[in-house]
Parts: sequence; structure tokens; C-alpha cells
Amino acid sequence: MNPFLSVAILLLTTGLLFTLPLLPAIWELQRKSDALPLDVIQQHAGEIRYFADRFRSYLEPLEPVFRETSATGQKAVGIMPDGTEYLVLGLGTEALGLPLGERDKLCPVLLASATDLTVSANSTFSRDVYSRGHFVGDSNNQYRALLAEHGLHLGAGSSVMRWVHAGGELQVETGCKLFGRASSDARLRLSPDCTFVRLNATRIEFGNPMESPRSLPHPTGLLAHSRRRLCGGDFEIKPEEIFRGDLVVRGNLRIGSGAKVFGSVKSDKELIVESGALIDGSLISSKKLLIGPHCMVRGPIISERVLLIEAGTQCGAADAPTTVSATRISIAPGVVVFGTVWARELGEVLA
Amino acid sequence: MIYVLYIIVVTICVYTARHYWFTLNRLFGFQRHPYIDIDTADWPPVTVLIAAHNEELVISHILEALLAAKYPADKMLIVPVNDRSTDRTREIIDDFARRFPGRIRPFHRIEGKPGKAAALKDAMEFVETEVVLIFDADYIPGAGIIRQLTAPFFDPEVGGVMGRVVPMNVGANLLTRLLDLERAGGYQVDQQARMNLRLVPQHGGTVAGVRRTALQEIGGWNENSLTEDTDLTYRLLLHGWKTAYQNRSECYEEVPETWPVRIRQIMRWAKGHNQAMATYAFGLLFGKNRATLRERLDGALLLGVYAMGPITLLGWILALTVFYQGIAQLNGIIALLSLTAYAAIGNLAAFFEIAAAIRLDGHRKRIAILPFLALGFTVSIFSVSHAAISQISGLLTKAEFHWDKTERFRKATS
Repeated sequence: MNPFLSVAILLLTTGLLFTLPLLPAIWELQRKSDALPLDVIQQHAGEIRYFADRFRSYLEPLEPVFRETSATGQKAVGIMPDGTEYLVLGLGTEALGLPLGERDKLCPVLLASATDLTVSANSTFSRDVYSRGHFVGDSNNQYRALLAEHGLHLGAGSSVMRWVHAGGELQVETGCKLFGRASSDARLRLSPDCTFVRLNATRIEFGNPMESPRSLPHPTGLLAHSRRRLCGGDFEIKPEEIFRGDLVVRGNLRIGSGAKVFGSVKSDKELIVESGALIDGSLISSKKLLIGPHCMVRGPIISERVLLIEAGTQCGAADAPTTVSATRISIAPGVVVFGTVWARELGEVLA
Repeated sequence: MIYVLYIIVVTICVYTARHYWFTLNRLFGFQRHPYIDIDTADWPPVTVLIAAHNEELVISHILEALLAAKYPADKMLIVPVNDRSTDRTREIIDDFARRFPGRIRPFHRIEGKPGKAAALKDAMEFVETEVVLIFDADYIPGAGIIRQLTAPFFDPEVGGVMGRVVPMNVGANLLTRLLDLERAGGYQVDQQARMNLRLVPQHGGTVAGVRRTALQEIGGWNENSLTEDTDLTYRLLLHGWKTAYQNRSECYEEVPETWPVRIRQIMRWAKGHNQAMATYAFGLLFGKNRATLRERLDGALLLGVYAMGPITLLGWILALTVFYQGIAQLNGIIALLSLTAYAAIGNLAAFFEIAAAIRLDGHRKRIAILPFLALGFTVSIFSVSHAAISQISGLLTKAEFHWDKTERFRKATS
């Protein structure tokens, strides 16, 4: 073969091989089919009431239907713009006689009520449920999502797959499972044996708290402390000791019974707070965090692994809401939290 | 010569392994987001500093975005740090301050040392809050980001916070698309993996925060540093403060749209990073400080990332020289293998990291652009090598550093 031709073929082949992986790239550069910025959450979809607010907006086209059914006390059926079937009740108590499937008692339509709404036991609601008044659900029901503008009562053994929000008090009976977000604009009460993921309310009660909420002794803002102590190994704050300033411990940390800490504390390992301690700051643990009975914590409580809170403990205050977060959370009956409780994997109210 | 080449090959292999470790951790490891759940709290007062130098095209956008932030208005003070601007920046800021009294307090700097660090240092004298957040003027923060960047400071070990930077002008041209991929790899994989593994997430100096007590303890902003963010990261680390990375605290930025601007930007970063390496690497590795062993090792590797450009170039030259000199046949083969290793494993690791980031971001089609990254890397290698050489020659001639502000490309709005 002619040597010039060989070299030319070699160069051509090399050029082709080099260009080959660039062809899809050039195609994408020209078409710009995926050239938009990353969809950053500018509207903050992490807000716990995001889905409830969106559901309200979704129901806006039904406003004339609500007015009509409310005035006449009649039912109305129809189809939403996205093809979802709906049933609007004029009298919420009619739901007790809903045309549920005989065998599985399945309600496959979006159920809404212009007034209070009551549903019977052992039913499954595969579409979202809305009540403009109070909502009362009997035991062992399964819901996709629930919104009540006033009080909301979930019967024992019920479960909510996505989210539940109440404008008034949200009462959750024994053995319920809340797989998504559960929130109330007022008080949220969880009975023993319930499981949850994310809770938010002005006041969250686990079981029946015995004591009335306490106010914090020093209404100073968080992060007002400037002194920090850094400790390389294990550390203990003795019982009844008063510790001022922030504390960071690279080992285990024990806060003794009745101790008072005016600052935030962190442990890179296990953190144990014994009974009756007061933490006027945040509690952070990289591993396990145990909070004994009748403690009081002002700031956020974060454990990267397991968190156990015993009876009588108060987290946050009415004038200082807070967040309790961990991978797994176990809370004994008698605990009160003002704000948010967020279990990344699972939260449970102990029996 | 061959031994120098061996050292270079080993160094490149270490960085390659690091890329793979980070990527695999990000794909399959335990993901740490300890502070992102804090959505309810007795929020502390914060000061938001906006570094601005001739920002008439963009300053109103960030002010509007910050005024719409979901944070108690009485606890958030916005301080635009107008650093000797000669355009309409001052006029725009003063107009906002008039319209929103009590929420915006301008800091007009008309003299003093140039540079962001120097401007922030002067502005800090008027800051009264414990939490200080920092944004560059071309950024557009989302409504929830002030709370998200403040939340980590409830941890008394956290001295600095860094959010994720997301390019907004992605589709402008090839360069912006490549920078979008690089940013995705850097934040979605690199920074988050360092957070997961309790290593050294880097403070970026924007979409970021710092605790005033920590800043005072380490001596304030270093106005002699070209990259005040890297400098801050290491001084915090040496004093036992952590920098927390919040991957879900995303904020839009404008990336360079022309190659000369990009080259100047990366050269400034390289010089600043190398400056930090010369200042802190030895003390971090061998000195008596409060960093853990893994932080020391990762911190040292992070300090060396911009030095890897000239080192790789040197490796290429040495490998070719050894091979063509035919010093020994065996050595020649090793050199050839080394050369292959750079081209295959080394680059592939970074490509793997970026591809994983695209996957984690939920994108699909933009992965097709990946082969063009070779172009971006080539430009970066020569730019940072040039920066290193000019830095060394500058040291010898005792030339002063000067600070290049990155040009803006946003169109003016009426």
C-alpha cells in the first residue's frame, strides 16, 4: 500500500475514533435538551405544611361546589381538571354511609366535606381526604393524605401514608402509623405505640403529660454564649453542678442529675443527660443521645444515630420552639416538645 | 529523574484513590445532613454581608432575594459591603436602604486595601451578631437558605458553614456547561463526601457563614490572602472549629461565560490555594493543633489540589523524557505505564466523580457533555501551572499579589 495513503488512513481512523465520543456531546450542545439550571428549591418545599397548602390550592376550583353542597346539604360528584374523581358531601356524617366497596371498604375518590366529616372503621381512602370542619376517623383506617381545617382525630390502629395536617388539634390514638408529615397549627397529641417520621405543632404531647409546661429560667437568645471549652476525651458535668458556656467533648459526655448547663453541648460519642437536668442551649451528639426523665432542654436536640427521651422531659418552650432530630427516635409517654420532631428513619412513642 | 517520576505517579495515584473513595461514599455510604432538619428554632440574630465591588448589574437581585427570605425580619440585618465601587452600586444600595429602613444597613468603603477579605475585615467591626452569613453580590439565595445556613451554628463545634453553589447561566455556551459539571462534582460529591467522612469540607466564602467568636479567636479575616475562604477553612480547623457543609442549601451563582475570565478566576484560586498550602500544610500535618488525624491527611491533600496541575505536567515531561532517552528498557516501560495511568485512571476518576454527581442531581442528558471535560481539564492544568510559576517568580521578585474581580455577565434590568 502507498505509505502516504497508509498514514492518511491512520490519521483519519484516529481522528474518527477521537471524535466518536464527542458526537453525542456536540449533539447535546446544539440541542440544549438538558441545559437548565439545577431545580433549586427556591419555594422551600421542605416546609412541613407545603403539601397541605398545595392541596388547598388544588381544591380551589371546587369552591362553588362547597358553597352549593353546604347550602343544600346534598352530595356532589365530578372530575377534577387532572382527571381525579371527587365526592363532596354537604353533610359530613353521610360519610358513615359512604358507598365503600363491600369486601375491602375502599374509597377510590377524592373525598371532601364542606362541614365536619366522620368516617367509619376499617376503611381505605386511596385518594386525599378534606374536611372544612372537624374530621373524625374511626379505628383501623388507611389514608393517603388528610387535611382538616379544624380538629382532626385518627382512630386507633390507623395509618397515613403521605401527610396529615389539622388547623386545630390533631389527636392520634394508640397504634397509629404516620409515614410522612403530621402537623397541626395548634396541639398534636400522640398516644403510646404510635410511629412517626416528621411532626410539627405549636405543642406536641406524647402520651398524657403529667405536668404543665415549664418556662425557661433565662430568656436569653441562643448563641449568645461566647466562651467555649473543648475537651479531648470523656467528660462529666457533676450532679447539681452549674456549667456556664459552650462545651465540645470529643469522647463521651455525661451530664449529672439536676445539673444546669447555660450553653450548648456537643459530644462526638455518647451523650447521657441524667434526670432533672436543665440545658439552656442545644444538645448535639454524633452518636447516641439519652435524655433522662424530667429534663428541660431549650435549644435543638440532634443525634446522628439514636435518641431516647424519657417521661416528663420538656423540649423547647412556648416562647422558644425547637427541633428534635435523629435517625431513630424513641419517646416515652409524658414528653412535651414545642416545635418539630423529625426522625429520619423511624420515630416511636413507647408504650 | 526516574525516582521523581515514581513520586509523582504515587501522588497521582493517591489523588485518584481519593476521587474514587469520595464518589463511592457518596453513592453508597451513610449521608450526613445533621442540621438540615432544624426547621423550627428560637432563631438567633444574624448579619448578612454582601461583598460588592462594581455590582450595578446584580446587586438589586440579591437584595430583593434576601428581603424575601423566610427568617424573622427583626433578627436579620442585611449589610451590603460596597467596596470602593465606581459604578451605580452605591446609589442602588442606598435606595434599598431608604425603602427598607432597619433591614438594610449599607457599609460604604471608599478607601483601604483592595480585595474581598480586606472589605469583610473592615465590615466586621460593625457586626454585632454571633452568626454572620456571607454572599457574593451575583448570588441569588432562596427563601429558606438563611435558616439553613444558620442552623449548624446551634452546634457549638461549628465555626463555619458552607452551602452549595449552583450555576444559573448553564446553557450560555460550552464553558458554562463544563463549569456546571465541575461545580456538580465539586459540591454534590466532593464536599458532601468530606462532610460524610468527617474530613475537611471547604469554606467557599460565599453562600457561607462564620461564627463571630470563632473568627475573633483565629484573628479575623486575612486580608493578605487571595482566597480568604481557604485561609479561613484552615485557621478554623487548626483551632478546633469545624466547617459544616449543607448540600441542600443551594444558591444560584453566575459562572464565567468567557475563557479569559475563567482562566483569570482559576489562576486566582490556584495562587490563593498555593499560598494557603505554603502557610498551613506543615503545621497542619506535623504541628500541635486540634485537628484529628483524618482531618490532617485530608486537609493536606485538599491544600495540594492546585499544586497537582504543575506536578502532572512535570510528570508528563519526565515520563516522555525517560522513555525517549531509553535510560533503561524497564524504566521506559514503567514510564510508559505511568503515562497511560495518567490518561486512563487519573482522569477517569474525576470523570467518574462528575458523572456520579450528575446522576445524584437527577439529570440524564447533560452527561453527554462529559468528554468535553478533557478540554476544561487541559485549560485548567495549564492555567494553574502558569499561576504556580508566576507565583514563584513573584516571590523571587517580591511582586505584590493583586486581586482580580470576576467579571459579571448578567444583563441589566430596568
